[in-house]
Amino acid sequence: MKTRVLFSLILALPLVAHGALVWESESADLHPSLQDKDAVAHFKYKNTGDKPIKIVSVHPSCGCTTAALAKDVVDPNESGEITATFHIGDRSGVQQKTIGVTTDDKPGQVTLLKLKATIPQLLKISPTFLFWAPTDALDPKPITVTVGGDFPVTKLNVTATDKAITTEVKPGPGEKDFRIFVTPTESGRPINAALKIEPDFPKEAPKTFYANVRVDSRAKAAAKK
Amino acid sequence: MGRVLVRQVLFLLGLAFLPAIGQALYYRGTASWQQRPVDSAAVSVEEAKNWGGAVLWVDARAEEPFAKAHVPGALRLDEDGWDTLLPSVLAAWSPERKVVVYCSRETCNASHAVAERLRHEVQLKNIYVLQGGWEEWENKK
Repeated sequence: MKTRVLFSLILALPLVAHGALVWESESADLHPSLQDKDAVAHFKYKNTGDKPIKIVSVHPSCGCTTAALAKDVVDPNESGEITATFHIGDRSGVQQKTIGVTTDDKPGQVTLLKLKATIPQLLKISPTFLFWAPTDALDPKPITVTVGGDFPVTKLNVTATDKAITTEVKPGPGEKDFRIFVTPTESGRPINAALKIEPDFPKEAPKTFYANVRVDSRAKAAAKK
Repeated sequence: MGRVLVRQVLFLLGLAFLPAIGQALYYRGTASWQQRPVDSAAVSVEEAKNWGGAVLWVDARAEEPFAKAHVPGALRLDEDGWDTLLPSVLAAWSPERKVVVYCSRETCNASHAVAERLRHEVQLKNIYVLQGGWEEWENKK
């Protein structure tokens, strides 16, 4: 009998000893659009206990995410939220970031808020860098561009920042693919150039993608056919 | 009395394990939130220093800490300014050089993200992540 009472007390202890910060959800699944520069998540909480709770620290896992807190002391029954802003930058695909939150009701324990952002990938470029080594002939090299999702891209405009680099765009090999054939036309000097790749969608907010080209000055001129 | 106590302890432990087992089964095969890319080859500060001039250092930290101090000769590259910063890294790269990427400390992820993109998107070889990051570099000065 005594044992049962003891166990009941141990089990009931956490319920009465402290206030508790209860999160509406500890994870957020965001789907920003092509035009968005940031993805914002709101992590809502409520103090369901009978004592004020202090949010001691809010620590995002990367510099690309900021977390704003309106008030650091949460009174009993009070609600609030942490606003996490993920800066998309030049990222694409699925990005997972965390925000560690510590409160004075659970010292040494970190609540990990999870932010998942699926950034639409308009174009997948592979590879994004072409290099002609000293032993290479200056023959054309391909870059494959695949259109992501259902985006209606029908054409790519490609320009090089160095006039010694020529490009030719061809459709295929897949239905959603383009191939860019890149050819250096000058030998005897090092070339560092960027390729600007501009799809014809979205028209209202055009996007530019980049690939890079480097040619060693010792690379040999291609044999004439 | 003793047997009752043992039985109750086992009962409570069993209760605690049930949701844990359920969660482990439900989420098996999914990547952890803090899991890093598995193919990031790591290198210690000592080993990277021994490589001498064969290393191209890439600093994946933000602009401000980079401006304060960085590994001599390091070039900055992060995912916020990837398109703008990448050309200088590629201009300094050569096939013989090993690329060592670092961020602020062991727990930061920026170096792993940059290393992964250099390996998969840019398709460079010999990409390493510095163990302990900038913090370890400072400790080993």
